[in-house]
Amino acid sequence: MPTGWPAAKPTTHTNQDNMKLNQLILASLAGLQMIFPAAAADDTVTNSAGAALAVIPAYTAASSPDAGSAGTAEIEALKKELRELGQKVRSLEEQQASARQTNADAAGEKLQDLDQQVRILGRQRELDNENAAAAAKALPKIAAGPGGFSFTSADTNFSLALHGVLQVDSRTFFANDNLQGDNSFLLRRARPILQGTVYRDFDFVFVPDFGGSAVQIFDAYVNYRYSPELQLQAGKYKSPVGLESLQSDVNILFNERSLATDLVPNRDVGFELHGDLFNGAVSYAAGIFNGAPDYSGSTTNADFDSLKAFAGRVFFQPLKDSDVAALKGFGFGVGGSYESDRAWTNTATGVTPGYTTDGQERFFTYTNGVVGHGNHWRIAPQGSYYYGPLGVFGEYVISDQQVVNVNKGLKADLQNTAWDVSGSWLLTGEEASSGAVVPKHPFDPKRGQWGAWQVVGRYAQLDVDNSAFPRFANPNTSASKAQAWSAGLNWYLNRNIRFNASFSHTWFNGGNGTGSTVTKQPENVLFTRIQLGF
Amino acid sequence: MKIFLKLLVPLAFALAVSAGAKEVKLLNVSYDPTRELYQDYNAAFAKYWKAKTGNDVVVAQSHGGSGKQAQSVINGLEADVVTLALAYDIDAVASQAKLLPADWQKRLPDNSTPYTSTIVFLVRKGNPKQIKDWDDIVKPGVVVVTPNPKTSGGARWNYLGAWAYALDQYGHDDAKARDFVKRLYKNVPVLDSGARGATTTFVERGIGDVLLAWENEAYLALKQFGTNKFDIVTPSLSILAEPPVAVVDKLAKKHGTADVAQAYLEYLYSDEGQDIAGRNFYRPRDAKAAAKYAGQFSPVKLVTVDQVFGGWQKAQKTHFADGGVFDQIFQP
Repeated sequence: MPTGWPAAKPTTHTNQDNMKLNQLILASLAGLQMIFPAAAADDTVTNSAGAALAVIPAYTAASSPDAGSAGTAEIEALKKELRELGQKVRSLEEQQASARQTNADAAGEKLQDLDQQVRILGRQRELDNENAAAAAKALPKIAAGPGGFSFTSADTNFSLALHGVLQVDSRTFFANDNLQGDNSFLLRRARPILQGTVYRDFDFVFVPDFGGSAVQIFDAYVNYRYSPELQLQAGKYKSPVGLESLQSDVNILFNERSLATDLVPNRDVGFELHGDLFNGAVSYAAGIFNGAPDYSGSTTNADFDSLKAFAGRVFFQPLKDSDVAALKGFGFGVGGSYESDRAWTNTATGVTPGYTTDGQERFFTYTNGVVGHGNHWRIAPQGSYYYGPLGVFGEYVISDQQVVNVNKGLKADLQNTAWDVSGSWLLTGEEASSGAVVPKHPFDPKRGQWGAWQVVGRYAQLDVDNSAFPRFANPNTSASKAQAWSAGLNWYLNRNIRFNASFSHTWFNGGNGTGSTVTKQPENVLFTRIQLGF
Repeated sequence: MKIFLKLLVPLAFALAVSAGAKEVKLLNVSYDPTRELYQDYNAAFAKYWKAKTGNDVVVAQSHGGSGKQAQSVINGLEADVVTLALAYDIDAVASQAKLLPADWQKRLPDNSTPYTSTIVFLVRKGNPKQIKDWDDIVKPGVVVVTPNPKTSGGARWNYLGAWAYALDQYGHDDAKARDFVKRLYKNVPVLDSGARGATTTFVERGIGDVLLAWENEAYLALKQFGTNKFDIVTPSLSILAEPPVAVVDKLAKKHGTADVAQAYLEYLYSDEGQDIAGRNFYRPRDAKAAAKYAGQFSPVKLVTVDQVFGGWQKAQKTHFADGGVFDQIFQP
C-alpha cells in the first residue's frame, strides 16, 4: 500500500477492493500526467482526462460513505491536485498550440520568401536569356555556305563576302596537221571575288584574275544604292550591252561565249546609273565609259583616247509576276553603245584585236595600221525565255565602226553583224534561269543522288563586212564569216561544283589562203571543264 | 459615241480618285508604356487626316525601353517620329545621328511635351507592406521592382524621383540622397529593360512588393487586372515626367512624310489629342482636358528635372552615364 494515500472504508466492496481501485485510479492519473505532454497533440487525450477527473469524485464519494474529516481533506487535496493537473494540461496544450501557430507562421513566411526567390531567379534567368539574345544580335555574323563566306556587322550596314571561281579546262582540237590550237589543259579563270557593303548603301566588288598569263583586275567598282530603282556605279565592270556577256562567268552554258559576244564591249571603266523598276519588270543601265573595242579577252584600266563612249541597256520582263507560269520567264530588251574614236593619239588601235572562235583561235584580225577613227556604234536586240527546265536566249548584234588604215590612207565604215541562239534543258527537273542551277538532289552516291544534268546546244555566226577585205583585213588569213554549232552536257554536282563537256564545230567563209592556220579548215574542238564556284 | 462617253466619264473619275488618294505610312518609335495611348491616338489621327486631306495614313508603332529605342533610331530604324520617355533620348538621336536639329524641343509647345505623367507605387491589394512613401520602399525586406535606368526612360524617372524625395527629406544632402537611393536599389532583385517588362514582372510574375511605375502604367494595370489585386500609392513627392515628341526630319523627308509627321505631332495638342491622353491616364497639358481628368489622379507635390538636377544632360552625365552614380551604387 502506497504511503501518503488514506485508506478508504468499503461500502459494498471490501477495503482491499477499494484500495485496489484507488491505486488503479491514482496510477491512471499519474500515467495520464506523464503522457499528456507527449500526447498533447491528440485532442482525444483531453477528453479522456476530463472524463477521468469527473469520475473520480463520484467514485470516491460512493466508495467512502464513512470517511472522516481526514479523508475528506485528502479528497479535497486530491481534487485540488487534479485541478492543478488539469490546468497544467490546458496550459501545456495552449503553449503547444501557440508554438504550432508560430511555427506555421514562420514556415509560411519562409515559403513566401522561397517562392519570391524562385520567381526572382526565374525572371533573372529570363532577363539573362533576353540580354544574351540581344548581345548575340549585336555581334557580327559569320556565315559560310554554298553562297560563299561572309561576315556582317550586327546592323548589316557593313559586310564582306568572299566568293570565287576556278575553272580548269581542256581543249582538244580535231584538225589536220595541227593547223589550229594546241591541245591543252588550261586554267581558264582563277578569280577570288571580294564583295561587300559599307555604310549600308555602298557596295563594292573587287575581282582580280590569276587565270591568264598575267594577273588582271577584271572588276573593281563601287555601287551606291539610293533605292532599288536608282543606283550609281563607278569603276571597272561589264559594259551594259550584250546579253550573253552580262551573264556571270560561272553560269554560262558553254566553256566559251558565242560568236555574237565578239561584237560587244567587254569590261570598261566608267560610271552608270542603273536599277530595277516596277518590281524588276524593267531593268535599265546607262553610263559613260572610256570605250572598249569589240569583245576581247583582255581588258585595260585606262582609256586609249580622250573621247568617251555611251552604253546602255534596257530589259523587260513584263510578265514576271504573271499567274501563268509559262509566261513568267519571258524577257526582251536591247543594248547599245556609241563612241567616237581618235585612236591614233597613242599606240592603241581602238579596233578589236581579233574575233575568235569557240576554241579561242582568231579567225579575223585587222591588218597592221588599221585603227578606229570616227563613230563606233553597236546595237544588240536580245531576248530570253525560261520555263521549267527549258532555257532559250539569243541576241543579234551590229557593230558599226569607222576605221582608217593609216598605212594606206584609207577609210571605211565597216558593219559587222553576229547572232546566236542558245538553248538548254535540265534533265533532272530543276528550274532553268539565267542564274545558277541549283540541283534538287546534290551529288551523294551513297544516297543515290547524282546532282543535276543539263543538255545544251547553240548556233552562232559572225559576219564581217565584206568591205574590210582586202584593204583592212587579209582575205587569206581572216575569214569573212564564221558559223558554229555547239552541243554539250553539263553536270552540276551541287551549287559549287560543275563539270562541262561540249563539242563545237566552226566553219568559215574566206580566209583559206596560204599561210592560214585557223580558217583553212573547220574547227572541231572538244571542251571539258571542272568548275568550282562559291 | 454616247456609250463611249458613258464609259469614259466614270473611268476618268475613278482614275482621278485613285490618282488623288494615297496612303501614307508613318513609323512612330516610342517607349514602353505608350502602346495603348498611341493605338487610340493613331486611329483618331487617321480619321482626322482622312477628313482633312482625303489621304489614308497608317501609323506603325515600335515600343521598347526609351534608351534602347533611341539607339535603334541612331542605328538605322527608320522612324518618322519619335515619342520617347525623356528629352535626353531624343537629344541623343539629334547629336549622334544628326537626324534632327539640336533645338528640336523648341518646335512644339510646352517643350514638345504634349502630356506629362509622374511616378507612383503599385502595391499588392491591401498594401501588406504598408508602403506609403519613398521611405517605406528602402526598408530591408521590401522587394522593389523597377527597370534598368541604363535602358529605360521610366526607370530614370523612378531613380530621380527617389533622389529628389531624399534631397527634400534630408536637407538637400547629396550624400544622404545617394545612400537613400543605394538602399532602394539594394531592394531591387531584377532589372527589366523597360517599364512594360517591369510591369509584367510585378503583375504577372508576382514578383515584389512594390512596382515603381509610370502613373499611366499603374492605372492601366488597375484597369486591366482589376482593383481587387493592386492598389496605387501616390508618394508625398514625385517627379514631373515630361515625355517629348519630335519629327525625325531627315528620315521623314526621305520618306516624303514630313508634312504628315508634323501634323501627327501637332494633333496631340488638339482637344481630341489631349482628351485621348487623359483617357489613357496621362496628364494633359491643356487646362480644360487637365481639369476633366484631374479627378483620376491623387494630389502629389511634383518637382522637375530642371529644378532638382539642372536638366537632363547634367542628370544623365552624373547619374546614368557609364561610371556614373548608378553604376557606383548598384550591385547586381
